[in-house]
Amino acid sequence: MAAAQPLLEVRDLKVHFFTREGVVRAVDGVDYSVNRAETLGIVGESGSGKTVSSLAMLRLVPPPARTVAGQILFDGEDLLTRTPKQMAALRGRRIAMIFQNPATSLNPIYSIGAQLTEILTWHEKASRRDAEPRVIELLGLVGISDPATRLRQYPHELSGGMRQRIGIARALLCNPSLVLADEPTTALDVTIQAQILELLAELQARFRMSMVLVTHDMGVVARMATRITVMYAGRVCETADAATIFNAPQHPYTRALLESMPRIDHSYAGPARRVLPSIPGRPPNLLNPPSGCRFHDRCPEAQVECRRLLPVETAVAPGHIVSCLRRGSPGIVA
Amino acid sequence: MGTVRYILRRLIFSAFLIIGVSMILFAMINAIGNPIEILLAERPGITDEIIESITQYYGLGGSVTDRYFTWLGAIIRFDFGTSIIYNLPVSEMLLTYGLETLKIQIPAILIALLVSVLISVLAATRQYSRIDFGVIAGAMVGHSLPGFLLGILLILLFSYWLGILPSYGAYSTRNLLMDSMVIDGLWHMVLPVAMLAFFNTATLTLLLRASLVDVLRQDFITAARASGLPERRVVFGHALRNAFIPVLTYLGILFGLMLGTAPVTETVFTWPGLGALYIMAIQQLDYPLIMGATMIITFMLVTATLLTDIAYVIIDPRIRLA
Amino acid sequence: MDSDATPAATLQAENLGSRQRPPGVWRQSWYRFRRNRAGMLGLTLVSLVVLIAIFCPLLAPFDPNDQSAMLRGAARRAPDSIHLLGTDRNGYDVLSRMLYGARTALAVGLGAMAIASLIGVTIGGIAGYAGGMTDELLMRFAEFFMVIPVFIVILAVVRLFGIVVVGTWLENIPNLNLITIIVLLGCFEWPPIARMARAEFLRLKHAEFVEAAVCIGSRKRDILLRHILPNALPSLIVLVALGIGGAILAETMVSFLGFGDPKAVSWGQSLFFNYEALKVAPWAVLTPGTAIFLTVLGFNLLADGLTDAFNPRLRQ
Repeated sequence: MAAAQPLLEVRDLKVHFFTREGVVRAVDGVDYSVNRAETLGIVGESGSGKTVSSLAMLRLVPPPARTVAGQILFDGEDLLTRTPKQMAALRGRRIAMIFQNPATSLNPIYSIGAQLTEILTWHEKASRRDAEPRVIELLGLVGISDPATRLRQYPHELSGGMRQRIGIARALLCNPSLVLADEPTTALDVTIQAQILELLAELQARFRMSMVLVTHDMGVVARMATRITVMYAGRVCETADAATIFNAPQHPYTRALLESMPRIDHSYAGPARRVLPSIPGRPPNLLNPPSGCRFHDRCPEAQVECRRLLPVETAVAPGHIVSCLRRGSPGIVA
Repeated sequence: MGTVRYILRRLIFSAFLIIGVSMILFAMINAIGNPIEILLAERPGITDEIIESITQYYGLGGSVTDRYFTWLGAIIRFDFGTSIIYNLPVSEMLLTYGLETLKIQIPAILIALLVSVLISVLAATRQYSRIDFGVIAGAMVGHSLPGFLLGILLILLFSYWLGILPSYGAYSTRNLLMDSMVIDGLWHMVLPVAMLAFFNTATLTLLLRASLVDVLRQDFITAARASGLPERRVVFGHALRNAFIPVLTYLGILFGLMLGTAPVTETVFTWPGLGALYIMAIQQLDYPLIMGATMIITFMLVTATLLTDIAYVIIDPRIRLA
Repeated sequence: MDSDATPAATLQAENLGSRQRPPGVWRQSWYRFRRNRAGMLGLTLVSLVVLIAIFCPLLAPFDPNDQSAMLRGAARRAPDSIHLLGTDRNGYDVLSRMLYGARTALAVGLGAMAIASLIGVTIGGIAGYAGGMTDELLMRFAEFFMVIPVFIVILAVVRLFGIVVVGTWLENIPNLNLITIIVLLGCFEWPPIARMARAEFLRLKHAEFVEAAVCIGSRKRDILLRHILPNALPSLIVLVALGIGGAILAETMVSFLGFGDPKAVSWGQSLFFNYEALKVAPWAVLTPGTAIFLTVLGFNLLADGLTDAFNPRLRQ
């Protein structure tokens, strides 16, 4: 594979919430990139700025949040310098998004057909009559039975899994090159989760699109992602290909996260039971984040310098980036 | 299927409602005894025979229940009897005066709808901005300023001080403006319509802006934007229709309030409408007229409520299952 | 959540050493209310009306029933140094009648809402707690009252009742007409309260603390009055505040149309007596009008502030 230019490159992105109580640094200097036709998994606890960073890709961060710094290079062009009109033309057509909660991300008062054809007719200037067969075809592809009937139905008449399939179909309508999937399975039943993940993987291979999969679930990225970025408190801890993250994690937070996952080959009951480790402490308040490395107060390896210096992302191996002072990252005073 | 049944159920409830109101009113009016006696008491030269014959003439004799059913049977044929004071068919009077009332109320509610939508969108899409704050404050003041006080202020300003708009009546008594019934009529409508529209605009804006702010925060709005739909379509097509759902009920209530307080509005502007007619009727105990006016007002109100119920079903598919 | 940190911390500091107790719902709501500028403006206006109602004999320069200006030929006088807001067509001092009108207004608002709350909470509470057929029937009954043209009916009843009492002992009750209006307003304005009470009782019936009370065998009366009702109060108070403003406005309109109590000193009566002279003595109309506006605005703002204080939404 040629080391071609990545489809999406995010550099030093900062998204801050300007609240009455002060500035919340939800995303505070994040870098990552997505290659063509690959899936990048972004993992982090809730509140680590994952959702906001996907909305930032579309320039849709809701007030009081604002993207305050950084570059978002999509196909080599910085999205943050595009005009609103150019941006609107990209959304849904080149970059699309799948939302976390299928119950709230479909408009309750319009039929499925009306919502999907509207997008297609808008972007491709197609007539309703031309758009409808394509919508029906896509609904079939995302695994919806009897799509022509579903077209006339309303969101409340469908099950959660069905609605999420509609959400996926909506994202894929215009054959986008990049799909942002924000916790696409969190709101679903466990059995449905597996089906939806399978569907996403299948569609991604079929349409050769790139995907950013945002989740808090290590199991989900293990299954889906080519490469993984681990985030903590609005910053990137570690980025590497999936195998490396699971087999040779470097950052103490990644390690702690993996250790806190239950494993099928361990027994948590009976006489020889193990205790499932958890990360002590709580995710930090981003209104007033810890000084130095954001993780230092929960880190088992923390030293005095970690409290003072902010680690800079550093490659420890080709394609394996870690930001930890204890792994050789240089620190800066911030 | 479900829709038809829902509307049918509302229709039946409406019918019960109208009958209920008529019964309450009928009972109350009969509690005061024979209105003819009260009206003619203390007048010289009135004998019991005269009272008796007049009572018969207006169909006020016999037992209360008999009279009620006779009356009920008659109003189904749109026959409300004869006004005691004016000696005219009540149905004719109701039609004439009712149209005058609707002439100012329907334009007022339509203007209020249009203006409040524009203002609410302006404010809600700029939440916490100075414009938004100004709209909230203005709407709150407008909502708290009783309509008839606004009417008085308008008359003071435009009729008495500036002298550019008429302060009373639906038409000029002597010379029509520009010799045209239409222009003169419109000229007289300006102040009453402005007053009603202002109050309704303020209340609707208060409700619609809050609802719109709530809706604009929801996922499906972000999703519509993320699909690349232009902002105009997101706000007017997706957000506004959803925002209207909780406001719809109030639209019916608002119309009811406007209709119910028509006596006040029409007293302020000396407007020859149903409200003014009603006041005259109860002041002079014109029994058939009181009953007729109340029934028509109740009927209009129930119709408005029914229309909002139907609008609900059209706008919100989730109700159709119920 | 975070926004409560400061007052909660202060309170904890105060309680340090004694028992540590987090601030209760009422106190927390007060902290939130205090920061709501619109709500505080409403509270100020309402407090002003209450103070005027209490102290009007001290504040008013003239007796509200003093018509001596009329005898001096000084009726409809524009504001001057003796009559600060002028005199009206009956020779009354406009300022004094405006101040005394606050008493009538509050009597109407509080009286009507006391009756409405009693009926509303009883009916709504029974409907919500009992459920089933009782609920359905009571709520239809409430809906009936919500759809009928209340104002029109009140006008007719006030007028007809005035005829019925002639010649009976009722005639001798002072301010009978005003009392009739208050009772009528109360009897017609309860449905919103009933609906809210029903919703709250329905919600709280299944709350864990209520089920716990049921489990330990509390009496039904205690459950309803000591566990459910206090928790339903915040939502009800908002409606009552709104209703007081509404009742005051309704009385004004009844009086303005000439069906009010001729003996009462009320803002609506002043409007009724002076509206025909609007052109020559606008101050006699504008003064009570402003009083009504500020009172209604005060109660509306107060209700608005209370809603925010009781139901903290995400504030940005």
